[in-house]
Amino acid sequence: MSNSTLLVPDRKFVEQIVAAGGGDLKKCYQCATCSVVCELAPGDRPFPRKEMIWAQWGLKDRLVADPDVWLCHQCNDCSLRCPRGARPGDVLAAIRQQAVRHFAVPKFLGRWVNSGKLQAPLMALTAALLALALIVRDPIEGALNFGEPHGFYAELFPHWLLIGFFAFFTLLAFLAAVVGIVRLWRSMKQTDGLYGSAVPPVGVVKSLVRAIVSIFVHDRFAKCSSRRSRRITHLTAFYGFMALYIVTIWAVLDLYVLPSFGVASVYPFDLAHPMKVLANVGGLLLVFGCTKAILDRLRDPNDAQTTTAFDWMFVWLLLGVGVTGFVIEILRFAIDPAVESAMVSVAYAIYFVHLVLVFQLLVYLPYSKFAHLLYRTTAMVYAEHTGRTNGARPPARLTERSLPKPETPAALEGSAADN
Amino acid sequence: MDKKTAVYICRGCEIGESLDIEELCELATGDCEADLCRDHECLCGDAGLELIKGDIREGANALVVAACSPRFKTDEFAFDECVSERVNLREFVVWSHEPNDEDTQMLAADYLRIGIARAKRTEIPEPFDEDIDKTILVVGGGVTGMAAAVEAAGAGYDVVLVEKEPQLGGFAGKCGWRFPLNPPYRELEPVDLSGRIAEVQGNERITVHTGTTIEEIKGQPGQFDVSVKANGSGSEFRVGAIVQATGWKPYDASRLGHLGYGSSPDVITNVEMEELIAAGAITRPSDGKPARRIAFIQCAGSRDENHLPYCSAVCCRVTIKQAMVARKFDSEAEAYVLYKDIRAPGQYEEFYQTAQDDPGIFFTKAEVVGVEKAGDSLQVEAENTLLGERIRIEADLVVLATGLVPAAADGEGIRQLTDAKAIIEKGEAGAQLQAAKVTFEELKHLDGTEILNLDYRQGPDLPVLKYEFPDSHFICFPYETRRTGIYAAGCVRAPNDSLVCMEDGAGAALKAVQSVELASQGTAVHPRWGDMSYPDFFMQRCTQCKRCTEECPFGTLNEDEKGTPLLNTTRCRRCGICLGCCPERIISFKDYSVEIISQMIKSVDIPDEFEEKPRLLGLLCENDAYPALDVAGLKRIQHSAFIRFIPVRCLGSINTVWVADALSRGFDGILLVGCKSGDDYQCHFIRGSELMSTRSDNIREKLKQLALEEERVRLEQLAISDFDKLPQIINEFAEQIDEIGLNPFKGF
Repeated sequence: MSNSTLLVPDRKFVEQIVAAGGGDLKKCYQCATCSVVCELAPGDRPFPRKEMIWAQWGLKDRLVADPDVWLCHQCNDCSLRCPRGARPGDVLAAIRQQAVRHFAVPKFLGRWVNSGKLQAPLMALTAALLALALIVRDPIEGALNFGEPHGFYAELFPHWLLIGFFAFFTLLAFLAAVVGIVRLWRSMKQTDGLYGSAVPPVGVVKSLVRAIVSIFVHDRFAKCSSRRSRRITHLTAFYGFMALYIVTIWAVLDLYVLPSFGVASVYPFDLAHPMKVLANVGGLLLVFGCTKAILDRLRDPNDAQTTTAFDWMFVWLLLGVGVTGFVIEILRFAIDPAVESAMVSVAYAIYFVHLVLVFQLLVYLPYSKFAHLLYRTTAMVYAEHTGRTNGARPPARLTERSLPKPETPAALEGSAADN
Repeated sequence: MDKKTAVYICRGCEIGESLDIEELCELATGDCEADLCRDHECLCGDAGLELIKGDIREGANALVVAACSPRFKTDEFAFDECVSERVNLREFVVWSHEPNDEDTQMLAADYLRIGIARAKRTEIPEPFDEDIDKTILVVGGGVTGMAAAVEAAGAGYDVVLVEKEPQLGGFAGKCGWRFPLNPPYRELEPVDLSGRIAEVQGNERITVHTGTTIEEIKGQPGQFDVSVKANGSGSEFRVGAIVQATGWKPYDASRLGHLGYGSSPDVITNVEMEELIAAGAITRPSDGKPARRIAFIQCAGSRDENHLPYCSAVCCRVTIKQAMVARKFDSEAEAYVLYKDIRAPGQYEEFYQTAQDDPGIFFTKAEVVGVEKAGDSLQVEAENTLLGERIRIEADLVVLATGLVPAAADGEGIRQLTDAKAIIEKGEAGAQLQAAKVTFEELKHLDGTEILNLDYRQGPDLPVLKYEFPDSHFICFPYETRRTGIYAAGCVRAPNDSLVCMEDGAGAALKAVQSVELASQGTAVHPRWGDMSYPDFFMQRCTQCKRCTEECPFGTLNEDEKGTPLLNTTRCRRCGICLGCCPERIISFKDYSVEIISQMIKSVDIPDEFEEKPRLLGLLCENDAYPALDVAGLKRIQHSAFIRFIPVRCLGSINTVWVADALSRGFDGILLVGCKSGDDYQCHFIRGSELMSTRSDNIREKLKQLALEEERVRLEQLAISDFDKLPQIINEFAEQIDEIGLNPFKGF
């Protein structure tokens, strides 16, 4: 009994995938229609057919370490074409969810963050932490004297407190993310039977650059020919978030770093300031992207059914951050604190909620759907690194004109480098 | 019978426009010596029929209707107390030949001669008339047998049901659960046959004999005398027809050592799994611990040239059922199904999907390489899996899904064995003894396997065909066997699920009913139902060559000690194969005999060699070849005008003397057309085409002796759908004969 693999079927894992939105996975009868219609599946060992049978047999070790599940952008063309209604696209999503949980450090957070029931307690915990910060605000201020607060909401949360608080928790999240990434990378290498059998065609750094470039233009997403508008949705939310992230970083720089270089702080930015413009545009993009994503999911009956708490929580959270952000911005300009003290309390309350949501979004990033940012990027780097993406086929809809002409080996090499 | 021959020529359907009818009439009353001849523009219309009926009232009793094919207007042109012969002027002449042509006219004239020749010699058959018992005997009290009994009783017939086990229910009765027999075909169903058994036992038309075996069945349809034995005491009764529903046996798993059977008590068959299920818990036979990881190996010995080459139809669903039961018994249990292909036909796809949806039932296509012991459990190794790699799976219990083998006895094999035993007992030295010893060794496993114990010369049970199923033709003649009045149903006919088995039981019961009813009317059964003729033996000239008793496909003839054939009329299907094989030509039917066909052949006008008009004879099987040529005519496909066709009951009913007659008469070539023989035969009398192939070898020998070219006689086999090929075959044959040249015996 040599050269055969001992399978240990894991019924529990099958049940987990079923519970995570892959409820139809057992219907698959391996016809491979999914792999044929998928524009992203590489020619060699294409997904999602093989993932479907692994999932049916509950082969968890293979699935969580499979870079291919992250190469899927879930256009669900496979699910629509599946003759058996097994919805491979949703199964891959469920597997990704399981992978996020699997690589979560500490493990219980992976479970808690994705539990619908625990959302309220978790938010309450965040609120309690923020409240604690407010309690210690005055004693610390008294002891250390950070100077006058800059701006409307700094009266409530002075910047030193805000930055200190979030820096601490995001650092923890960052560490968890790094551990998760490293574990995924190692698992991928371990389970990839081909890894190490040849020199990887692309170095890790070069692969990273390629992956990031690819992410910035969403070129792989663009290959999903069905439901193309999802790419626009994702692009707007992505760039909206990036813009807001940059503005946040800039604000910190403006407050605490630039003054040391002799550049006076201009915070809070006025409306015409380029950073404020960027923030507002970014906010609009984010709100637009999230709203469209939610509406699209609600409109498509298939999506509405298979969208899990894991998906909903992330997108609503993102929208919540965007909307509360705009509300507090408007209130800041609209309220004269000297006159309307009651309105100030309302604004503060909303600001508090905004911070809770931001905390939920950023600090729990490695455990929520937001973790795709980490793992998909890692898998894309791995795929570049091992030449997995080079085998990608030309677009499936070949017309006579677009049929590839016989190419010389030199030309083939050139096209391979393009990928 | 005093004959007054009347000929009627129809002018409808283009016949009148294409032929010189007056000339034909002159021929009929002139050379052919018919008493009268009339023509009419539409013979099948009321006026035309009235014309004929008027003549019948005047005393006409041998009618020759020259119109369309006898396959049309059959009822219109059937007249009581009259011989009615049809001449196919429409399909065979005017629709398939140049109109108003000299050769077409000659063709029509010859067909008229043939028809009149036949009408003059045909006698009206008198039906076999004896007491017919209409009781139906059902052998086997399983799902099929009970269905057959209930259906036959429901149709108003008395039924005797014989079951060898002490209780009714068969295999299904021993199972706890079954795959669903009711819509929506998704969930397990508990087996409960008590209602059905009560229905059978409570039916006053049904007599049930359990724990009973059959000692002997003598006689023929309508008159089967059955002796049975139960607990050492015997009884006898008479029945009219028999439904054999003896079910199936599991394939011998001891031959499945390559799948681990015998290497560990924890490798069991699906039948043994049923026993565990019936016991209520799935445990390992080795230590009695619960079996939580159960591997099912599908097609264990099935669809395998070394074992059972066929698919047993139910094993996939049985495995799915067993996996579901295992999960039902123990929610911690897991089932791994390794299959070649899952076959869940029809609505059972839904049942398969239910199992698939269960996270505890795992499926993969796989070729199992082996099963080995690994510590406390078993490991199944398989390749070519859907996982794309060679895999091993650990299991507590391995279930082999073995196939179904018909519980039939090989009647002809048993006969050979009995003959071989007799020769060995006699002990006379010689090649025969050696051959008998070889036969004995080959067939000794059949010893004591008899089920029906028929008193038939050809063996005590139904002849078996491919894969030992006793069906005579799977598609064309379901339920029929090669013993008239005995019908196979259920798994003995083909591997089936319970639903199909019940359908089978009903089908076979109705076949049995048909058989006794037709016997009581004195007519043949399918495919010659309505035929009242039967073979008549002119015994004074019989040489006891036993050819007829050997060659009859239906075991119609028994023999006395000397080998003289003894006719059992209602066993006969009137194919005429005995007539074809008899070297003494002593077997005749009232309307079909060596003499009648010879005279029909001789009636054809053969132009002399200077006219350069060759004449070809076509002997055309009535079952498929004749309708095929009709269709060719309907499609206006033209064929050579030099050939004359005479329909025969079966290729096997062709007596080689006709070939000799035709050649000496001056025919230049003879074309014999019938149904396909071989494994996928379509011959309506099973062996007719095959027997003709053998006989045509003898014919070729004869041709050589006569210094005639072998090519002058050609045997063709085709399907009823080959209507487009038949004219091609005819034309090619005509060309070939043209090349060879005319028959040198012409004019002698």
